Amino acid sequence: MDQLELLKKDWQNQDSTLPKISKSELSTLIHKKSSSIVKWIFIISLLEFVIPHLIILFTGDNESSKIYEDLGLNSFKLISYVVYYIAIIGFIYLFYKNYKSISANSNPKVLMQNIIKTRKIVKYYIWFNLTMFFIISVVILYKVFDSSLFIDKIPDDVNMIIVWIACLVAITILVVVFWLFYRLIYGILLNKLKGNYEELIDNNVDC
Amino acid sequence: MRKELEQKFVSDLEQNQNIVHKICRLYTNNQHAHNDLFQEISIQLWKAYPKFRGESKFSTWMYRVALNTAITLYRKSKRIVKTQGFESVSFKIEATDYDDTEEEQLKLLYKAVQHLSDIEKALVFLYLEDKNYKEIASTMGITEVNARVKMNRVKNKLRKILNP
Repeated sequence: MDQLELLKKDWQNQDSTLPKISKSELSTLIHKKSSSIVKWIFIISLLEFVIPHLIILFTGDNESSKIYEDLGLNSFKLISYVVYYIAIIGFIYLFYKNYKSISANSNPKVLMQNIIKTRKIVKYYIWFNLTMFFIISVVILYKVFDSSLFIDKIPDDVNMIIVWIACLVAITILVVVFWLFYRLIYGILLNKLKGNYEELIDNNVDC
Repeated sequence: MRKELEQKFVSDLEQNQNIVHKICRLYTNNQHAHNDLFQEISIQLWKAYPKFRGESKFSTWMYRVALNTAITLYRKSKRIVKTQGFESVSFKIEATDYDDTEEEQLKLLYKAVQHLSDIEKALVFLYLEDKNYKEIASTMGITEVNARVKMNRVKNKLRKILNP
């Protein structure tokens, strides 16, 4: 293409029109704050790991302990805690391992792959949390509806199936809202990156 | 030790800063954005520098880190106000070197390049820097076939923009 050759020639002769930054200015520049996407991913991911724990801390574990005890769910509580913390340690380990592999020294393809992989770990963590929330809520509801305290209080003509459906819909809506909020944050942060990644790998050519 | 490393890095960066400026010209359309991207690329280069083992030339390594920053890592600053058009700041073509038609053509070409995607700009950049397909492929982390196919598509796209 002749036009591109013309462009190339001009491109290679543009040096005199480029700005010149002195060594001292460069020294200052490199110590300024980065606005890299990786930094944001790290901060947001960290918050995602920490926030659920802060919520538990501030909503008062004692009260929930009593509820578990009243409902006879002590062993369920123990099992869910063990599963939860083993999973979290696993997630944090994987997240950290992947985060460390993000380096601007890799080529753009590997860099983008590593960022997406790191994000996926947090995505699975969010899924895990929401699933746990759903399961625990359903188990507690079941126990509450089954408890004599509850059965004694409700009028006889209440259809329990409708109560169940209403509660499940409410929990599902809550889970979906959390999920959408999460998607929104990462949609903003990662959409461009994902688009660029798909364009770069081009499955039609690189099979 | 760190100070020595920094001095060496700054001196390498100063000598090769044109590469970064050229990438900024390609990916931004006003002076403020140019400076912002230049800063982010410099920070990323400095962060990545301790892992630069000198296996490749400093400039070759720069291409990779700078393109990574422009395509993937850089989050546009909210302070950027899109005011100045691309012709007014970037690519001040030295008119004396060309006749009117060439100058006009170049203006159109630079304008057309601005319409390309991030990845396409990276390919055009490496092409304009006279890199062969093997080098383009290894810098971008794709196969040589992919690089050729993509470059042909970019050329066609530019042709379409120029001759609608």
